[in-house]
Amino acid sequence: MSGFFSWWSNHFTPMLSWWQWLLILAVPPAIVLLYFLKLRREPLEVPSTFLWRKSIEDLHVNSIWQKLRQNLLLFLQLLIVALAIFALLRPGYRGSKLVGDRFVFLVDNSASMNARDIEGSRLTEAKRKVAEMIDQMRSGDVGMIVSFSDSARVEQPFTDNRRELRRRLDEITPSNRSTSLGEALRVAAGLANTGQGKDSNEAATEEALPTTLYIVSDGKFPDVQGFALGRMTPNYMPVGKPAANNLGITSFAVQKTEGASDRSQAFTRIENYGDEEANVQVTLLHDDVVIDVDEVKVAAHESAGVAFKLSDIESGVLEVKISPGGDLQADDRAWAVVSKPRRGNVLLVTPKNDALSLALGTPRAAELAEIVTVTPDFLDSKDYQQKAASGTYDLMIYDQCQPKEMPQANTLFIGRLPPLADWGYQKDKQPEKLIGPQIIDVESSHPLMQLIDLGNVIFVESVAFKLPPGGSRLIDSNQGILFAVAPREAFEDAVLGAEIVGSAEQLANTDWPRRLSFPVFVFNVVEYLAGGKQSADATLVTPGKMVTLRSANNADRLTVRLPSGTTKQIPRSKNSTFNFNDTEALGVYRVEESGVPTQSFAVNLFNSAESDIRPRPENSIKIGYVDVTGEGGSEGTRRELWRPLLLAAFLILLGEWYIYNRRVYI
Amino acid sequence: MPATTSNLLSPELLAQLERLELVSRKIFRGKMKGERRSKRKGQSVEFADFRNYVAGDDLRFIDWNTYARLDRLFLKMFLEEEDLHFYVLLDASLSMDFGTPTKLQYAKQLAAALSFVGLVRADRVKIETLGQPTNKPAPNLRGRASVWRMLDYLDGVGAGESTSLATGIKNFCIRNPGKGILVLISDLMDKSGYETALRYLVSQQMDVYVIQILSAEEVDPDVKGDLKLVDCEDQDIAEITASAPLLQRYKQTLAAFTGGAKDFCTRRGMNYLLATNQLPVDQLVANYLRKRGLVR
Repeated sequence: MSGFFSWWSNHFTPMLSWWQWLLILAVPPAIVLLYFLKLRREPLEVPSTFLWRKSIEDLHVNSIWQKLRQNLLLFLQLLIVALAIFALLRPGYRGSKLVGDRFVFLVDNSASMNARDIEGSRLTEAKRKVAEMIDQMRSGDVGMIVSFSDSARVEQPFTDNRRELRRRLDEITPSNRSTSLGEALRVAAGLANTGQGKDSNEAATEEALPTTLYIVSDGKFPDVQGFALGRMTPNYMPVGKPAANNLGITSFAVQKTEGASDRSQAFTRIENYGDEEANVQVTLLHDDVVIDVDEVKVAAHESAGVAFKLSDIESGVLEVKISPGGDLQADDRAWAVVSKPRRGNVLLVTPKNDALSLALGTPRAAELAEIVTVTPDFLDSKDYQQKAASGTYDLMIYDQCQPKEMPQANTLFIGRLPPLADWGYQKDKQPEKLIGPQIIDVESSHPLMQLIDLGNVIFVESVAFKLPPGGSRLIDSNQGILFAVAPREAFEDAVLGAEIVGSAEQLANTDWPRRLSFPVFVFNVVEYLAGGKQSADATLVTPGKMVTLRSANNADRLTVRLPSGTTKQIPRSKNSTFNFNDTEALGVYRVEESGVPTQSFAVNLFNSAESDIRPRPENSIKIGYVDVTGEGGSEGTRRELWRPLLLAAFLILLGEWYIYNRRVYI
Repeated sequence: MPATTSNLLSPELLAQLERLELVSRKIFRGKMKGERRSKRKGQSVEFADFRNYVAGDDLRFIDWNTYARLDRLFLKMFLEEEDLHFYVLLDASLSMDFGTPTKLQYAKQLAAALSFVGLVRADRVKIETLGQPTNKPAPNLRGRASVWRMLDYLDGVGAGESTSLATGIKNFCIRNPGKGILVLISDLMDKSGYETALRYLVSQQMDVYVIQILSAEEVDPDVKGDLKLVDCEDQDIAEITASAPLLQRYKQTLAAFTGGAKDFCTRRGMNYLLATNQLPVDQLVANYLRKRGLVR
């Protein structure tokens, strides 16, 4: 019973007092009464009712519907009165909360919002929800729309123009990016918690006003730590079905087969985010031609790998497709670009280093890079300065010497420090020496240190240095770092503190060159720092990320052909690279230099968090220390129904008039 | 003919009617000598046939010329010319008092026109109403001079009789046992049906014309909304809600009713004609009745 009352009070707000209600409720019986007392029938004298009676009898015989039609006008009148009474009850239903008068709508347009578990897509649904709330805004309320994925964008700053808000809302386009709420919150806070105005006159009005924040998303973002909401009240409106089902490719890579350098294999990882086991058909295409098909069973919430053996594929684009792919389509395809590594240019500056020259002289190294060896006095020449500044070389190895300025290239310093304070370099001061360092740790996961075993390698002495910010320690000793790598603008600098050759007094500083691991190390250095590896890295890009491209022929301008077919020109940046930003679309981007395709790179989703499209439930999101309420916890805004009801009553009145006058057949 | 007497017949109509005469498909024995040939052979100027003389024949009709030539006695026979009995039976019930002009007015015009034709051709004309009181019989009219009397009589006929169709016709048949032409002008709207009534006429062996008069309102009713229809004769009430299907149904019923009446009459050798009060009387007489063979 109480349930009924609460339902009643939720949906109806009677507008009249009880005696008025009695009066109103007396109207329909009165109409019926008038009808059946036949007071309404106008008497009309006719010559004879003979034929009429016959006609009526014929009609009566037909069905009860005829009888109904007899009283059609009565029913219409009763309907009109009923609608009017219903309108007086002020029926309404609970809309979502629109408390306050300032709203920020954060609309998620990340990759997972493209899921089609909802009619249209989740983004469409989210837009619909926001549009509904915009409709509920009273005049004078202001709203702001921010779309966010891994970055946030203010689609529309605070305005009370609802039409403009709706228009801007419509303009939000889906993206393939990952999700991060933090930036969106910062953007929203920046505009919502404006704080005190700069102008003292405006101070009173510019003070941070309470703002309601609506996060319309499927919640595929990490909780935001350490963020103060200020006077913003967050609300999370989840979009998407909890039982959403998706299968996605989370990894696709082409690797050389161990032991057989002319063969490679394509490895695909498929994850199943649904609640049911799925048989997935995996198709591998090479330049749009199917070359292999496999089927794999992926258990619920598990992943499975598929490896395709590839032979004699030297270059081209490999594509993998899965079917069925679930509700999200973006992760049903993945691309990988197979290409011969570009030969890098390496400048080796050394007084004399047989071990290094020997290791760099192998045919395998020559395949990767062209190596030029010069003596340290070349560093003073004009030729060097020009080449260092123009980025002619991909890697510069400074053995037992150091340049005055860092070149526009990756570097490896052996036994010397780069002329940078970050590394602990001080001008006119000899760095400290580490005497007899014992290797205690090797970061073997870094590409530079792959397959290197430094078990009992001995170093006599080494230069001590600091690790610059962002750098990684690769070889650690009991006395300090021996080998480290750190980024510098677009380049990377590697520093090996220990010399290989050693000073004149010693025969050698280390016995490393005698180990098998030394040529491997040199090979790693060339492959990683001289560009071979770098171009391989560039072939795997996530959407929205910047890609740094290099020109093979020192061109001033690169043309990138997008998966959609349109082309973009990118100019050379100041450090001789080409930065390409427009990587929103998934697929293969082809780079052309003066009309000739030189390289390609693929943009893939490869984002487990986005592929897992099950939306986060309400009341599970935390911003700072605030639990975000879901839309269920909000107090209802009444959506009034009396206007459409009265409109319907009016239309029925028109219909009644028409029927009465035109005697139409219903 | 006094000009004041009537608005029933216009001078133009009279001129038109002068040229007409009543026709009967049957040839009847009249009571007096009239202008039309009879089946009976008799005295007239028009020769019909010869026959052998038998004893007792009137010697005046023996053709003496033939006797002189052939030496045999032949009797000359002549066509008898006699008058026609023309009856008009008017329905003057309340239901006839509807329409513009009222159906009764229209019926009276029609009766006057036909009677005029009869009077001009020296037929015996008698106009009765269904509820003709027995103590006040309708006049027997004859001759052109009686036209004014006929019109005067018709002027006196008013709506308001409540005799049913069957009773009225029965009484008429009892009063007028002879033969002749009968024109029944009625709307036939009798709740007990017209069939019984018309059957009386069949036994009468008259040349019967049934002219059903309907008003425009009856043919195409202009009604709207919820109505209480009151029958003017018996105050019967029919409640209707005017709707397209109801009107359609009404028209179907009306068509069935008139069609049924026509069928009934045709089967029994009567002529049936449906007229609405919108059809001018001169047209009705000059075209429709002429086609039907009532007038010539």
